[in-house]
Amino acid sequence: MSNSQQIFEAWLAGKLTASECEQQLDQNSEWYSRFQTAQVIQRQAKAPFFAPVPEIDSMSMFAQQWQRPTKSHSWWPKLSVAFSVLALVISLSPLEMQMQDSGLTLSWRGAQQMQQQQLETLLASYRKEQQDYIQTQLQGTQQQQASQLILLKDYLTEQQTKERRTDMLELVEYLNQQRQSDWHYWQENYQPSQARLDLGTSQNTQNR
Amino acid sequence: MFKRSDESLIEKAIGGDAKAWQQLVSRYQAPLYYFGLRLLGSPDDARDLLQDVLMVLCRNLAQYRGDSSFKSWLFGIANYRAMDMLRKRKATTEFTDDHDFYDDEAPSFEQQLYGQHTQRMVQQQLRTLPPEQRLVVELRFYQQFTFDEIADQLALSSNTIKSRFYAALDKLRTQLELTDVEQSANF
Repeated sequence: MSNSQQIFEAWLAGKLTASECEQQLDQNSEWYSRFQTAQVIQRQAKAPFFAPVPEIDSMSMFAQQWQRPTKSHSWWPKLSVAFSVLALVISLSPLEMQMQDSGLTLSWRGAQQMQQQQLETLLASYRKEQQDYIQTQLQGTQQQQASQLILLKDYLTEQQTKERRTDMLELVEYLNQQRQSDWHYWQENYQPSQARLDLGTSQNTQNR
Repeated sequence: MFKRSDESLIEKAIGGDAKAWQQLVSRYQAPLYYFGLRLLGSPDDARDLLQDVLMVLCRNLAQYRGDSSFKSWLFGIANYRAMDMLRKRKATTEFTDDHDFYDDEAPSFEQQLYGQHTQRMVQQQLRTLPPEQRLVVELRFYQQFTFDEIADQLALSSNTIKSRFYAALDKLRTQLELTDVEQSANF
């Protein structure tokens, strides 16, 4: 942006007076003539304009767009709407109106069927619940029995081992006692006889 | 009397206040009509433009967000509509406007004597400008918008607006000089 343009725009923006601008643009013919032309137009723009302004019906535009219609206080339309809604609800809902025995009965359409369905649903769920419970109980009992059997087997095995060991010890003790008594018997009965025999044999040999 | 701001009038008008709407319209009716008159050159077209702009304004009153001044926003609508009308008119007939839209009966004798000759001459010269340049001159001198505001309204850069403005000034200068020469020759 040239300096002259800045000066011109400052005048346009009202920061410089016309005479200040004129002085500063004096040397630049292009900007000076622009300034002069602008001054002519500006003067004309400030001059009053006298052409009559036509009447435009702006109020009807406004009324159509922004003014809300006045509320009517008649209750007939509301009542009509209310009855229509009621009729709609009755026709859509399972509510039934029946004339029975010169009386008006209000009932839910398909109520028995609905109850039956509900009952069946409840029974099915109860059945399933029971089956689940029995299954759980059975599994628990089986597990308990299996563990008890294992315990019993262990106990029996242990008892058998103990008894066998006791029997063996008793047998060994019995055998030892037997051997001991045999030894005593031999010592007492056969040893002297043997000694005598041995002695007799040796004397015969010497005599020969 | 205390003058209500445009914003408060808009707010009241949106709420259904017809008086506020009337006040708003009366505030901008004349500037909009004269804008149309200068730009389109015909009182009928200017009237159509005014009606059109007021209708659009009424319909879109709630869309004014206050990002720019109301006047700038309103003239943004007017610019668009005016250029649209000029484009349509150019497509059908070439612009040969010779309307004399000055009301000779309204002003005083002195006012007529002082202003109307030169005013008419300047208006005639302005009408020879291309519509885009004429619009920028109108907005800058007659509506007192800054270059930035004009750029916002026309969705163009400030430099484009300035170049249109200076081109218009150069063209007007030449034409005004020619007119002066013709008038001197007539004497």
